[in-house]
Amino acid sequence: MTKGKDEMRRQLASLSFTEKIKILEKLRDRSLGLAAVGLRQKRVSEQPIVGKETSANRKEE
Amino acid sequence: MSCRLCRLGNFVDNGFVKRTIELINALQVDGIIHHYAIGGAVAATFYLEPAATLDVDVFVLLSNPGGSLVSLTPIYEYLKARGGIEDREHVVLGDWPVQFLVPANDLETEAIAASIPVDVEGVKTWIMLAEHLVAIAISTGRAKDYIRVVQFIKEKAVDQVILQAILKNHGLLSKWEQFQHKYLEGSS
Repeated sequence: MTKGKDEMRRQLASLSFTEKIKILEKLRDRSLGLAAVGLRQKRVSEQPIVGKETSANRKEE
Repeated sequence: MSCRLCRLGNFVDNGFVKRTIELINALQVDGIIHHYAIGGAVAATFYLEPAATLDVDVFVLLSNPGGSLVSLTPIYEYLKARGGIEDREHVVLGDWPVQFLVPANDLETEAIAASIPVDVEGVKTWIMLAEHLVAIAISTGRAKDYIRVVQFIKEKAVDQVILQAILKNHGLLSKWEQFQHKYLEGSS
């Protein structure tokens, strides 16, 4: 398995720069696509706290 | 190329990178910058397997650096007049966010000056030497930079004599030894 990966890496590294740039574009498009559909879950600490009252947002009634 | 690699590179070539490089070259031709070199992940891709990145780092030597206060405004204005879109620290050119960086030290200035010409889709551009990319990564010291350095060493993509000379000239031998101790000892 590792040998296969190393071979794959060598093949990729041996491509021309133009071909590598095309792959970079593809990788970037995929990263942006994944980010856009929200497949990367936010950590719990990053979730917005909804409805929690603080002294700053408390309203006078 | 194996079929698997064919599939990986098989998508509509929209020429975005070519257009991006042409615009950066125009900065040089029109005298806005004296010279430039691509660094970061895109430059590393010249020597290694492609690794995902969201932007292009372009290190520039300005034609008129002025005093101690360096401004990239002439670059931004020039590119915006040619369709570039300013987006925080980037200028989006031909769909690629490009970050222009002025050298922060002598190492980065040397890396620009020593960069090599490379052809991308028939357009000439400038790429930093592998040894300078490694030295800058050691100098910067971020985790993602260290991972890249490990790749350079593992793939034997750097000339050790040149690298050692650069590290010595820029006072990075101590940092290099620390890096070796932490990341390279025990690996073949």
